[in-house]
Amino acid sequence: MQVRVDINGERHERDVPGELTLASLLRDDLGLTGTKVACGEGTCGSCTVLVDGHAVLSCLTLVAAIDGAEVRTVESDGELLTRLRQAFTANDGFQCGFCTPGQLMSALALLETTPSPSREQIVDAMSGNLCRCGAYEGIVDAVTEAAG
Amino acid sequence: MSPRLIKTEAVVEGRVEERWTLVEDDATPEYDDANPPAVIGTPTPRVTARTRLDGSARYTSDIKLPAQLEAAVLRSPHANAKLTAIDVEAARAVPGVRCVVTPDDDLPAYGGSALLTAEPGYAGAAVAAVAAESAEAVEVALAALAPQWEELGFIIDMDVAADAQHFIEDPTEYERGDVDAALEGAAHVVEAEYRVPAQLHNSMEPHCAVAEWRGEDLTVWSSTQAIYEGRAELARAFGIPAERVRVICEFMGGGFGSKFGVGPEGVLAAALAKRSRHPVRLVYSRREENLTAGYRSEARGELRLGADADGTLRGIEASVVMGLGSDGWTYPILEPMKAVYKCDNVRGFVLPVAQNLGPTAAFRAPGVMEGTFMLEIALDELADAVGMDPLELRRINYVEDDQQAGRPYSSKNLLDCYDRAAELAGWPDRDGLRSEGRIRRGMGMATQIWWGGGGPPAYAEVRVGRDARPMLEIGMQDLGTGVTTACAMITAERLGVSPQEVLVLAGDTTRAGHGPASGGSMTLASVAPAVRAAAHDSRAQLLDLAADMFEIAASDLTLEDGEIRSVDGTLRRPITDLTGKLGNAWVTGRGSRSPNPDGMSVNTFGCQIAQVAVDTHTGVARVERIVAVHDIGRVVNPMGARSQAMGGILQGIGYALMEERVVDPTTGTVVNAGFEDYKVPTIADLPEVVCEFVDRPDPNLALGIKGLGEPPIIPTAGAIGNALAHALGVRLREAPFTPRRILEALS
Repeated sequence: MQVRVDINGERHERDVPGELTLASLLRDDLGLTGTKVACGEGTCGSCTVLVDGHAVLSCLTLVAAIDGAEVRTVESDGELLTRLRQAFTANDGFQCGFCTPGQLMSALALLETTPSPSREQIVDAMSGNLCRCGAYEGIVDAVTEAAG
Repeated sequence: MSPRLIKTEAVVEGRVEERWTLVEDDATPEYDDANPPAVIGTPTPRVTARTRLDGSARYTSDIKLPAQLEAAVLRSPHANAKLTAIDVEAARAVPGVRCVVTPDDDLPAYGGSALLTAEPGYAGAAVAAVAAESAEAVEVALAALAPQWEELGFIIDMDVAADAQHFIEDPTEYERGDVDAALEGAAHVVEAEYRVPAQLHNSMEPHCAVAEWRGEDLTVWSSTQAIYEGRAELARAFGIPAERVRVICEFMGGGFGSKFGVGPEGVLAAALAKRSRHPVRLVYSRREENLTAGYRSEARGELRLGADADGTLRGIEASVVMGLGSDGWTYPILEPMKAVYKCDNVRGFVLPVAQNLGPTAAFRAPGVMEGTFMLEIALDELADAVGMDPLELRRINYVEDDQQAGRPYSSKNLLDCYDRAAELAGWPDRDGLRSEGRIRRGMGMATQIWWGGGGPPAYAEVRVGRDARPMLEIGMQDLGTGVTTACAMITAERLGVSPQEVLVLAGDTTRAGHGPASGGSMTLASVAPAVRAAAHDSRAQLLDLAADMFEIAASDLTLEDGEIRSVDGTLRRPITDLTGKLGNAWVTGRGSRSPNPDGMSVNTFGCQIAQVAVDTHTGVARVERIVAVHDIGRVVNPMGARSQAMGGILQGIGYALMEERVVDPTTGTVVNAGFEDYKVPTIADLPEVVCEFVDRPDPNLALGIKGLGEPPIIPTAGAIGNALAHALGVRLREAPFTPRRILEALS
């Protein structure tokens, strides 16, 4: 099936099989391995990317279903993402870093729609992103700080 | 500075090993009050932040080589079965399939066991494997194998296994003093049974490997806590010299004890790569991770504690059944009973039973966390019986020296931990938390002991070239603990630069400097002295060169803030004025880890106080606050140390409140092998955490450093259990404290 997606500002047009997931397109076909797959069944949030500004689980998202969409991953740039990166660094919002790309993208989706979230809103928006190292405190602090 | 071979004693998670070690003398002066470190002890962001936050950090499962195949494993759906038929030809016929292996094939062994078996002894055991050009082709081929089974009987229940005498290894017995007489003469005796669940590691990055052969040389990218152990495993498996094997683990997504060596997945990937003549990537699914890649052993313990009327401990008896599934070892579950409190009469017995379940693996403070849970709740029961404050009971039973070895500790600041934690938690007023309403609050505590002294062998090299930015080469790996940043700080300290300017080259067995496995809370304490010695050596060489160039005695020169300075202040020049003349050459400093002093035990200590709130209508318990105070010697990076403590505490909260592998007794299969059903703490479970360290360098250790990885998880669940009893007035003795168990206890 012919699809066109814009990924981090680059246009990609290709013929994809119906079952191709966005995670697989990003990681295996485009080499954008920043997006991580930790469960592959939509239960951990590691593979979160933005599709038209919404945080989605790329392991459950079929490329065929997002024709014409704009996708952003952890490899993208932007003022808000830069601020989030700085805040995650300053607040030690990660340890092993495997869930971190997903954490960053969930945080980005939150701050784009809710520039000054309450702590409750942050916890709510980030509660689908598991971190087994337990960096949650740093994540809350980082998102709070990046919101300014 | 010529190297010497010496015999040293190493303690890894309670197991003592003697080994020969090559060491060199460490010429570095020790830090003290007159010569304090400036970088060490300063909160420092991770030096890996940039690459981990922009997606460029490459983990094992991200590796993609030209012509690489994907691989996956066919696993037994049955707890015990015999393979009666398998259609290899159908799988081979699937387009894109390059290799299919079954138990009939001549494959290398892993750790003395076959990689594939036709008689799987647990649901999840590996039976066959496929490598193909795409993950889709692998999946189709696995389905095409259409295995047929003859199902056999199985044993899941620990007690049934114990009665049948199905043991993984010989039972452990321990005895000192006369426990029977002591308990008979005790004024107060408490006796109860405690249960702990199998806890699944669930590192975010699953076990995985990518293997590539070039001629007789093998390279394996592995998500591993032990690149050198992995190298040895591969060399053994394929009968080639270790030097022809390269193991790489540059970035790693967690391990928590489950990833020592390259694992069966590493050997299998290499075997498939050899047969198919293609590089092969094998990544476990989340479900495989939770069926076959290890877990913390479940255990049941009957404890008897006796005390005099004044609370003095007279005797401790513990009889434990530990479920090891299909493999593991007797994790040191008796250690808390033997070591934490002064007690002359201790008896322990552990039955390490075999069940038709996957293998256990070390999980952050294996055994000790389980034993601490049991002992610390039993101690609170004893405090109730004696009519004494639980903290006071622990204080009066404090022990200064190592009772087992009969020697002093290198340092022990546990009483300071008690005092500070009590103050931070408001312990004296804890009864004020209690009320009779729907929500009940309570506070409880637990003590922690662990090893974590570190030791040889560990080697490092520090190179300084023309840009004056040190390159630290060391053969260790970083699970995500922050050891890389700590090593950058130690290097920066000696060379007068910022930690962010140090390039740490690690996670590769072809790097200079052999490093230890990351386990037992020993990595930093092992490598730090070697890193500092290497940095010091390169510093000395730079100062010698500077002495010639600036005609000032080397002893009158220092490196600070990127400058070469003379002590009298007459010279201040950028270090690059010197190193810029090196061209493409560099100075290389070498360092090695010397042994710890003889005649003393190196242990970490601490305590935690938990405050919980329980909804008595729903049975939901919530941890509101944890106060953690640990004695880990000198704190190198306060920022990283706090994060590591947070991680341990959160996993401890998971263990206490929600984490429990559930096995269907009728089928012997795990019913919650995914995150949907196996609950781990989320951001919404984060309590307020007050964490402090007794930041006092151990006077007997190089740099004064002890370990930190394991200590913070050890007391959390016991403290929560005691807080629940304080809140509810009833005692819960089985973790996790789920709403069902809490409601049952209340009814």
